[in-house]
Amino acid sequence: MRRSRLEWLCVAAGAVLGLGGCAAQTVEFHHLPPDTPAASNAADIAKMQRLAASAAQAQKAQTQPAGEQAPAAEAPPPVTAAEAPSMKTYDPWGRLNRFTYRFNARFDEALFLPVANSYRRLPSPMRSGVHNFFANIAEIDSVINYTLQGRLGRMVRSLGRFVINSTIGIGGLFDPASKMRLPKAPTGFGTTLAKYGMHPGPYLVIPFYGPSSLREGIGLAADYGTLYVIDPAWTYRGDQSWGLGVLNAVDQRSNIDFRYYASGSPFEYETIQFLYIRKELIEDAGLHRQKRLPRADPNVPAGE
Amino acid sequence: MTKFLSALALAAFGFCHAHAEDVSSIPAPAAPGPATGLADSAALRATVFGTPPQDIAPLPAKVPLLEMDLDLPWRRPIPAVFWFDKRLRVWLSAQDKPAPLAIVISGTGSDGNTAKLATLRAVLYGAGYHVLTMPSPTFPGFIVSTSSTGVAGDLRQDGQDLYAAIGVIIAHLPHKVKITDIDVLGYSLGGANAAIVKAIDAKEHKLNIHRAVMINPPVSLFATVGRLDKLFARTLGNGDAGIERFYQQLYAELANLYRASDRVELDEDFLLGAAASALKTDAQFSAAIALTFRIALMNVFFAGDLYSGAGVVVDPRHPPGVGDSLDEISRTLRTKTFGEYFSRIFAPYYLKRRPNSTVDSLIADNRLELIEDQLRTDGDYYAQTNSDDLILDKAELGWLRTTLGQRIVVYDHGGHLGNLGDRQQVADMLAMLAGRWPGGAQ
Repeated sequence: MRRSRLEWLCVAAGAVLGLGGCAAQTVEFHHLPPDTPAASNAADIAKMQRLAASAAQAQKAQTQPAGEQAPAAEAPPPVTAAEAPSMKTYDPWGRLNRFTYRFNARFDEALFLPVANSYRRLPSPMRSGVHNFFANIAEIDSVINYTLQGRLGRMVRSLGRFVINSTIGIGGLFDPASKMRLPKAPTGFGTTLAKYGMHPGPYLVIPFYGPSSLREGIGLAADYGTLYVIDPAWTYRGDQSWGLGVLNAVDQRSNIDFRYYASGSPFEYETIQFLYIRKELIEDAGLHRQKRLPRADPNVPAGE
Repeated sequence: MTKFLSALALAAFGFCHAHAEDVSSIPAPAAPGPATGLADSAALRATVFGTPPQDIAPLPAKVPLLEMDLDLPWRRPIPAVFWFDKRLRVWLSAQDKPAPLAIVISGTGSDGNTAKLATLRAVLYGAGYHVLTMPSPTFPGFIVSTSSTGVAGDLRQDGQDLYAAIGVIIAHLPHKVKITDIDVLGYSLGGANAAIVKAIDAKEHKLNIHRAVMINPPVSLFATVGRLDKLFARTLGNGDAGIERFYQQLYAELANLYRASDRVELDEDFLLGAAASALKTDAQFSAAIALTFRIALMNVFFAGDLYSGAGVVVDPRHPPGVGDSLDEISRTLRTKTFGEYFSRIFAPYYLKRRPNSTVDSLIADNRLELIEDQLRTDGDYYAQTNSDDLILDKAELGWLRTTLGQRIVVYDHGGHLGNLGDRQQVADMLAMLAGRWPGGAQ
């Protein structure tokens, strides 16, 4: 049953991609969801105020008398320029990755993004309900992984969020926990692997999903496996799980402000590869904040 | 297509060898004045961070958005690595009643949907215009889909390509869009492009463009980019070592800020905060500005090299394919200057195609003086700029003032585009477009 559906999906995706590639008119119109400049500007103002407030707070913490500061032993050793990884990136599967990146770009343009854009026309409360619902289910995975990482404070926070949002938040449709100063801080198996010292490894572009690394790829599979076994709210097994899986994917896509090749640049692959691996490595440095990083070897590509 | 490309590449390669002596002797254009033009410390800061959101003019709640992808009849064969740039992509926000059309052209290297264009689109739509936003002729998507040469940065050639494209776009607008008048605007290089487009139309009368507003335009393209080369060399050094050093410092700075925060993910919010605390000194602002232009240049340089077959970074006999790594090429490209683009790609290409042209005439053709008479006598050209804009020097700002007279407004602060979208800039821009500006044609 499942296999036949998968095959059907692949055929449908192939047909759409093929047709998309064959279209040849002088002009093609894409109706996008309208811009909301006034609301975006208000959000920008709020964001700037938040940033200014947190910068002021950091300033205040710095200027406090030495006695009130955290003990020096807890201050992480600063990362120095010599510890920055090479500008080259470890990408032994480059050819396959480039192929997958191109496939993802075409799939996104022909099917995924248009669907996500249509979805963005639905009323905002409906969409945030969907978003909260899936985020709440992912909270289970966060609880498990914070436990594995030995970060009990964060584990309690995720558990608290899950309990509050599942009950007061009506099965996760609302997010009252964030209003109770328990902001979302998801984690996953990939971060657990990083916590235990695994390097990102080769850069990896995952079909339909996008930029990743071998470590994050394994992490994603494990996250999925965990939730598949638990099957919270029947979202991962059974016929309805297909529809819910698609809804989850569309919700995620509609919240990512990225357009393949909007840069117009042939170096887009290199740019994203570069930024993605640096992002992972900086997050790793944050996970191991008490450790001094090893001096980087400019001949060893980043991520290896 | 591959066959054609190989033939083109071989021919071009032969040309490149035959003229190797001449090419190497072309000097980079002179760049008089300081590397940061008229900018002071505050101007550099404003240039990097842009207009503070609280200073932005009132914006409408909703602006409709229609994306148009156009296949232009004169498009050249697409090199394999540019497979995604086949169509020209522009954005239209149409009123549902007859209205004037404002065409807005983007700045160096940018597409037709930047944050700056979104602001201009919003205020223009709010003021009752249909708004069409277009990429810069130096945007790779434009170079591949629309340029008739592939060698971007020539004011006249780019203007003609833009003008032709605008004609096709207007012919293919949805039927319900009724246009009562056409105005053109642009910011930075797009400002100069807009003025040229109006000047071309004044001769050809195909569109009957009414008014043109230039926002922070350059006066001399090659003097401006020459100063940007100087800025890059001064803040980041020559060659790859400086870029590597800047990267390492930035990486360490970000890693330390990230460690000091209690975040579980490096997200956009973190980066915004980090930029505010990592960029503090004039040298850092300058480096960020120089690097932004360098990244734009990489695409222009690569496309120009590929299309002209100059063979500077791409072997014209073996152009890269779809799945090929561009790592090495991008490493080489990031050390290439605007000066090298001019002397190794731009000048050899246009010298060969324009009889009687010289290096000096190419440089002169890329100054706004090209349309000095029109700017001086036609009351429908306007400009807005800042007295501390880094892409201008004193003489260039003086020239703009004397040429445009009352039709230019020069603000005291804002650097390069650091006040785009603020209340005063928008109010003045709308007054200029509506013919309410003193000294302009009514």
